[in-house]
Amino acid sequence: MTATPIFRAEGIQKAFPGVLALKGVDISLHPGSIHALLGENGAGKSTLIKVITGVHAPTAGKMYLDGAETGFASPRDAIAKGIGVVHQERNLFPRFSVAENIFLEQLADSWVRPVDYARLNREARPWLESLELDIDPATPVSELSVARMQLVEIAKALSLKSRVLLLDEPTASLTSSETDRLFTILRRLRDDGTSLVFVSHKLEEVQEICDRVTVLRDGENACDSRPMQGVDRNDLVQMMIGRAESGGAWRHRDTEAQPEVLGLTGVATALGHRDIDLTVRKGEIVGLYGLIGVGRTELAKCIMGQFAVTGGELRVDGSAVRIGSVAEAIHRHGIGYISEDRKGEGLILQHTVLENAGVPIWRKLARAFGSLSDRRVEGVVTPFLRKLEVKTPSLAQTAGNLSGGNQQKISVAKWLAAGVSLLIVDEPSVGIDIKTKAYLHDLLRELADNGTAILLISSDMPEMIALADRIAVMDGYRIRGEVANTGVYRDISRRIMDLIHGESAARAG
Amino acid sequence: MLHLSRLSRADWFGPLLATILAILLIQSFSASFLSAYNIEILLLAIAVNALVAYSQMVIIAIGQMNLSVGAIGGLAAISFAGVMEVWGLPAPLALLLALAIGALAGAVNGILIRITGISAFVITLATLSIFKGINLGITEAQPFYGIPESVKSFGASILFGPVPLLVLPTAIVTLLLWLMLRRLPMGRFILAVGSNEHAAALSGISVGTTVVAAHAISGLLAALAGVLVVARLQIGQPSIGDDWLILSFAAPVIGGAILAGGHVSTMATLLGVVIVAIITQALVLFSIDPFLVQVVLGAMILAAVGLNRLRARTPLKGSH
Repeated sequence: MTATPIFRAEGIQKAFPGVLALKGVDISLHPGSIHALLGENGAGKSTLIKVITGVHAPTAGKMYLDGAETGFASPRDAIAKGIGVVHQERNLFPRFSVAENIFLEQLADSWVRPVDYARLNREARPWLESLELDIDPATPVSELSVARMQLVEIAKALSLKSRVLLLDEPTASLTSSETDRLFTILRRLRDDGTSLVFVSHKLEEVQEICDRVTVLRDGENACDSRPMQGVDRNDLVQMMIGRAESGGAWRHRDTEAQPEVLGLTGVATALGHRDIDLTVRKGEIVGLYGLIGVGRTELAKCIMGQFAVTGGELRVDGSAVRIGSVAEAIHRHGIGYISEDRKGEGLILQHTVLENAGVPIWRKLARAFGSLSDRRVEGVVTPFLRKLEVKTPSLAQTAGNLSGGNQQKISVAKWLAAGVSLLIVDEPSVGIDIKTKAYLHDLLRELADNGTAILLISSDMPEMIALADRIAVMDGYRIRGEVANTGVYRDISRRIMDLIHGESAARAG
Repeated sequence: MLHLSRLSRADWFGPLLATILAILLIQSFSASFLSAYNIEILLLAIAVNALVAYSQMVIIAIGQMNLSVGAIGGLAAISFAGVMEVWGLPAPLALLLALAIGALAGAVNGILIRITGISAFVITLATLSIFKGINLGITEAQPFYGIPESVKSFGASILFGPVPLLVLPTAIVTLLLWLMLRRLPMGRFILAVGSNEHAAALSGISVGTTVVAAHAISGLLAALAGVLVVARLQIGQPSIGDDWLILSFAAPVIGGAILAGGHVSTMATLLGVVIVAIITQALVLFSIDPFLVQVVLGAMILAAVGLNRLRARTPLKGSH
């Protein structure tokens, strides 16, 4: 490995209104290397990627390309200087052909010269072949699998002669065999001299493929471009969360004798779940673990009555029920759902804190002719907002102006005020800082101790192990098994992985 | 079978089937439907309405809407007639001026949308009122009658058989639009921006320029439609364009356009215009209350949107 980096960033700061997302971050990218960029949600990875790819201009700090100071006026400028990126969300045009998606960038030279599709197809072929992608370049992208779309995006980035290629969670939606193929390709790109940056939450993958690592924590370097050699998983985790992995604040709680609040037996749903067995008792926290896209959130939505349960038995407080709508789930059965998609589904960002926190109880509080006074709502909601220490100048503040953590607290507060007996919490700590996360964990524990049954959906294993009494493992829209939590990270994570991989292997074979 | 199912997914397939069925059905009830006179009337309606529909289609392609299509057309129409009557400008110069006014009005829409970030709905609702107001301010709600003979004869000429000369500009525009959306980077950028604005920006497409260009094209097409109406009516009516709005959405949507943007079809939109014209004509032929046309048009928009949704959900068999 050579000592001179292709790209170096020094003391990068990025301030957003009210938040300092990056507080002086360094990173050096070397040719022929795969560099891991790690950090928990909210550590500043995405912001750093956006700075390196010209989406955001840094507030302070310097960037060097081949030793010379540089800056990026726009994403286009960064691309022109050889920085390519494959974003986490798909950035393809489904109705355009593979070839056109790859070369769209190069069409911009002239707005009126007719596109020569035969030439595009011809020129796309080598890029597809270099990624072992056996598809006709004239195929519309919408007809490809997610994994292939991802490879098309990589082909697109490569066709722009990227010497630095950033991959933001490229494996998030891939199966293990697709991931293996991607890794083969990445290794070959590395051997050809490309400098790759690999962002992932899956530490096993990072250890498998990366040779250098930068870890961010709270917008600062926990380590800067350190060789991966001699760094083990525990070191990585320690750098990411600032402490050795342990059960954390987990404590054994005996809930065996408690009555069942939610029970599923052999449940099948309109979304494709089969044979789901799951119980949540009073005061219990049951984890529903699984990777992204295996059907966890979807199951929650079926329980909430948004999608139909098509088979098996769904019980609330011991009696079989059919939940026809979300309103029924909330008002008749006392089930609350805290969405993972806080901005899209959880809160109405344009509305005030008071309105947001009060939504689920409006019906309960409404008097004759549905009249409702702010004061009544305030009276019910305020104790909960105070208890959660929501930091807001006033109840009339617009929710969108608060920090992610405070927004999350409001979504919890609104269900507390509604007095639900079962709370489904979906990825509660995405996008909030570590301190708020710890606080939120205490809160969920306290809720459970006071008798609320909690179904916790999370793909954050430490979070699972810190909170859950039992962990049900989901994969491919089925429950693959259940693990009783002992608070011992190594033990639990191995058993969970066995459940997931055992099934994947069985299906593949 | 696979071949047929692929065909049935093409945007023009459904509208074409509907067109043929409608013609056969109406012809079986009324033999005069396909008379030369009737065909000429149909083609005259199609020539203007297609331009109106294209004007909206280009904006639907970028995932926006243009409520001021009719107001721009009306403003261009009275400008065209007005400069010939009042200033005595020759027709070709008046035409260029009218088209420039249309393109400019459209560009103003696009620029306002980009600069303010306010939705196209609100911006074009406001400019609809402004353009219409300027129109009424200039005309004082009175038509311009001084249309030169050259324009009048253009509006009344026959290309061949029952085909009026007015069809020619529309046919040329149809081909150019088809070429643009299929083959020219400009058209591809319009569709890309409509499909995923964020991704388009990351692909190095200037979203702002594309949006403004689409609106300018939209204004230009609306202006051309206005000019054709002046040639056909042989007067510069201030009310030209007042009833374009619903049709402008109906035809592209019947032609499979996705209102969220990123997908429109020129040929299918043209077929949408044809269907609307045939049905309108049939209602007249069977002496059905003309106000019912509005009801039918509305019902057709609903049916077409429903069908488009259904089509989007049915996966294509034999895909990769």
